[in-house]
Amino acid sequence: MPSSADHTILARVTAIIPESELNSWEQEELVECLAPLSGRQQELILHQISVIWPVSHSLCLAFLEAAEPALACLDAEQFAAWVRAILHRYEARGLQEARRFMADLESHFICTLKGQSGLLLSTIKKRLDLYLRGVAGRPFVLEEATLPGTDTAAIFLPRNCTLFGDDDANFLVYKLMASLQWAFVRVNLYCHEVPNEQELFRKVARPGSVPPDQPVFLNRFFNLFSRPGRARAIYHFLQTFSALCFLQKKLPGLMADSTAYFQSVAAERAATMEPQSLLAGEYGFLLKQLSRNLPLELPPGPWRRLCHPASWDDSGQIFLDTARIYALWEEKPDQEVARPPWFQGTLQVEAAHARRLARRQEVEQQFIEALAIRILPALARKKEATQAPEATPAETPQQADSAADLSLRLPTPQNEPEKTGPDHNQVVRHIRLDDEKIGLDSKLQELGREIMDDLGHLPQLYLDSAEKMAAGRSYAPNLQTAGPEGAPLLGTNLYDEWDFRRQGFRHNWCRLLEKEIQPCGGTFIAATLNQQRGVIKQLKRQFEQMRSHPRFLGRQRDGDDIDLDALTEAVADQRAGLPPSERLFVRQLRDQRDIAALFLVDISSSTEGWVGKAIKESLLVMAEAMESLGDRYAIYGFSGMRRTRSEVFRVKEMDEPYTETVQGRIAALSPKEYTRMGPPIRHFSKMLATVEARVRLLIILTDGKPEDYDDYKGEYAIEDTRHALVEAKNSGIHPFCLTLDTKAPEYISHLFGAANYLVIDDVKKLPRRLPDMYRLLTS
Amino acid sequence: MQGKRIEEHFIETEPYYRVQGQELTIALAAHQHKIPLLLKGPTGSGKSRFMQYLAWKLGRPLITVSCHDDLSTSDLVGRYLIRGGETVWLDGPLTLAVRHGGICYLDEIVEARKDTTVVIHPLADDRRELPIEKKGEILSAPPEFMLALSYNPGYQSVVKDLKPSTRQRFIALELAYPSPDIEAEIVQHEAGVSRSEAEKLVHLAEMTRSLEDAGLQEGASTRLLIHAGTLIKSGIPPRQACKVTISETLSDDHELVAAIDEMISSLY
Repeated sequence: MPSSADHTILARVTAIIPESELNSWEQEELVECLAPLSGRQQELILHQISVIWPVSHSLCLAFLEAAEPALACLDAEQFAAWVRAILHRYEARGLQEARRFMADLESHFICTLKGQSGLLLSTIKKRLDLYLRGVAGRPFVLEEATLPGTDTAAIFLPRNCTLFGDDDANFLVYKLMASLQWAFVRVNLYCHEVPNEQELFRKVARPGSVPPDQPVFLNRFFNLFSRPGRARAIYHFLQTFSALCFLQKKLPGLMADSTAYFQSVAAERAATMEPQSLLAGEYGFLLKQLSRNLPLELPPGPWRRLCHPASWDDSGQIFLDTARIYALWEEKPDQEVARPPWFQGTLQVEAAHARRLARRQEVEQQFIEALAIRILPALARKKEATQAPEATPAETPQQADSAADLSLRLPTPQNEPEKTGPDHNQVVRHIRLDDEKIGLDSKLQELGREIMDDLGHLPQLYLDSAEKMAAGRSYAPNLQTAGPEGAPLLGTNLYDEWDFRRQGFRHNWCRLLEKEIQPCGGTFIAATLNQQRGVIKQLKRQFEQMRSHPRFLGRQRDGDDIDLDALTEAVADQRAGLPPSERLFVRQLRDQRDIAALFLVDISSSTEGWVGKAIKESLLVMAEAMESLGDRYAIYGFSGMRRTRSEVFRVKEMDEPYTETVQGRIAALSPKEYTRMGPPIRHFSKMLATVEARVRLLIILTDGKPEDYDDYKGEYAIEDTRHALVEAKNSGIHPFCLTLDTKAPEYISHLFGAANYLVIDDVKKLPRRLPDMYRLLTS
Repeated sequence: MQGKRIEEHFIETEPYYRVQGQELTIALAAHQHKIPLLLKGPTGSGKSRFMQYLAWKLGRPLITVSCHDDLSTSDLVGRYLIRGGETVWLDGPLTLAVRHGGICYLDEIVEARKDTTVVIHPLADDRRELPIEKKGEILSAPPEFMLALSYNPGYQSVVKDLKPSTRQRFIALELAYPSPDIEAEIVQHEAGVSRSEAEKLVHLAEMTRSLEDAGLQEGASTRLLIHAGTLIKSGIPPRQACKVTISETLSDDHELVAAIDEMISSLY
């Protein structure tokens, strides 16, 4: 039997969360958690519930459990900061991570509060990422780890930097560490293999020793020595020297700025290091030069005599030098190797090797798929050509097929990649299919080059796989699974689907259903409008400018005012004996934009959580801004499962006024099923084509590749979507895509064409970027 | 533009232009065979400078029109004016170029309204004539006349695009940013800085250009590099010179500006 106190709590809860959104067990759980707390604590928690509940219900319930112990050690302000941090975690990494964060209050939050965390990587990640992308000319993934390091694709950096009191100095340390790891990649830290390994090992190893059996070259090399740790330390020292020289040359400003940091490292090492330990003096020597920003030199004496940094680029020299120094150390069997300075980081030989293998596989797959598509038309032509004369009425279809296959495999199917240019810079520009020369596009050339850089040649196996894939064999099982339900559908709103393997349509393949959304109430609308009011206000002003930009149309038959230019000309014409023009007026142009836009929103299940919320917020902000612009627009959501049930949800029709009902429908958008993009694009292209407007825009918001439950995946899904977009373009519609998928650059320009998409890496920016994009696109 | 005599459009001294590839050969061939030219390329990549150089090379006057959305057909072709009670016909820039066998260069053509650009159609195909409706005259272009357009395909606005019917009359030349070596040479020459200074600026430009996938609309152009070099040459500290000419001009996004500043401070 609930007590009256429980009733008061329940009343306060329902004041925050509409009763319709709470089921009975959630109500009970909330009351149960809140009842034992003091009034003030309840107050604090209830306030935060209103913040968390709209984001995620399960997060809110988890928060309730953790809130009481947290309140024991946090004051009101800290408690609010803690909740912000929880939400941030949840948005960035999901529910599990947020739970973990809440559970470990001490290490995750309190030490930050005490100011012991210094500068956090997470706060500067974005800036560092952009910096590194610019400096390196390619993206690296930044990840947290205890020590700096790299596996050539990711750069690992510590979670926080506490070396200095102020953030700028700490940022500089991050910048230096990240730049140094990039420099390591550039100077080829993980030298994967040397061409004449046997000879090298013979020179380096003691007579009689057997080269160790290790999959990774560097490990094989280190294990040649009786004390591999020493060899590793020498090698890493030499590479650090090389990378620092590289940085001095490439980024002199960074090295000049970092002298203070190097001084502090030198001082710390001088105080704590055993001067007799191996490499202590050498690192000291480097640090001394770095602290004064002098051009780096190897330590004097044997190092300078034995090592040849100038020829480290050449195969194997750095290994010979490592071995020479190692031999020198044989006289000092008892000394320890000094701890390397922290910024140098760790050598991640295995990780780099794994990364390389993964990349090799990735490139192989991409190359084969792209090549298969490239040779498809030629293959189809050949199939037809061979089938036509040979197929006699007596043959069964199977026989005809096998004959076609045979002819494809027979003579020399593309086994001579034509190599041009010198050896170190090979580019495969053509392949041969029988006697036909097929040119490769730039993407294939680039992939081919990467493969040759890696393997030294383009394996015939890749070409064979591509041919097989193109001939449809590797896809055959897929087609069969589609078989049982492979019949054309009947009814309305049926759409064709493009099958790139057959280079033709599957007719009436998908059924599209238009559905209603029940508008929902709740706090979402008011909260968003309130939270984004600054942005909305600014956007309204910007959009109004686009609209009310004084725009007069001259030389009209009638209008608001006399067109002086036209009048002068008419008088002049008359005097010159010509019939004067009658178009002497200016008229204010009221509807000069004449743009119709359709926002098509991906509400597949992958948008669950913060993504879905950001999309809804963006739609709301966009709609508010559009109202002040006056362009016609519609909003639809799409999702569905399988070809028989592709669903679109009407939020706002083209000429429907923007009302509370529309707002309610935006709020009611919720994650549904899969992302089959073809049918909705075709549906709305058809619809847009009937709208009278000078410019017709189809703006697609999505968070990933097209994908459905059945075989609508990978290449097939991409090619169908691409074809649907091409059809849209042909009917005079401009498709544009905003995607939250950071992997999108790999496929998106193939889908939408260059400059017709925008990748948003931070979902929080969406409410701002969507209207910005629209403004850019239409002005 | 109007009222300037044709003689004033001749380019007397050789403008500085560093040939990058086949562009000059192709443009000269286009002129010889009377085919109009379409220059594509990002901001500040040397499109206008190339036209000046071409005009000098051909010894023809160059008449440049910067297009905008209020540009009318009369602005291009010409109009009657009243002078002291008399009416006087005044050639527009396009007519002027046709009459004297000059080169008419319509810069940023996509900014002009589509109905205006239609006037160039009969000039751009093998008819090579310009109808002047007002005067009831049809001007035939002499063999020396050349029409050239330029635009920046990086713009994302769908409202501004060249109609296929316009496009397909031209030979298109893409003037992308030059290769690092050539670009350094250009910066060195134009800004008067040392070779190493110029190479550093080019290096910075490449860094900013690789941010184009990460939200930056366009990377630093050769023109910006020349500005930066000029400021450095005049004694302004490099970091500051690059900040005002490059990072602040490229973006208003706080993170992007900060990241470019970090690149600058890494280089200088």
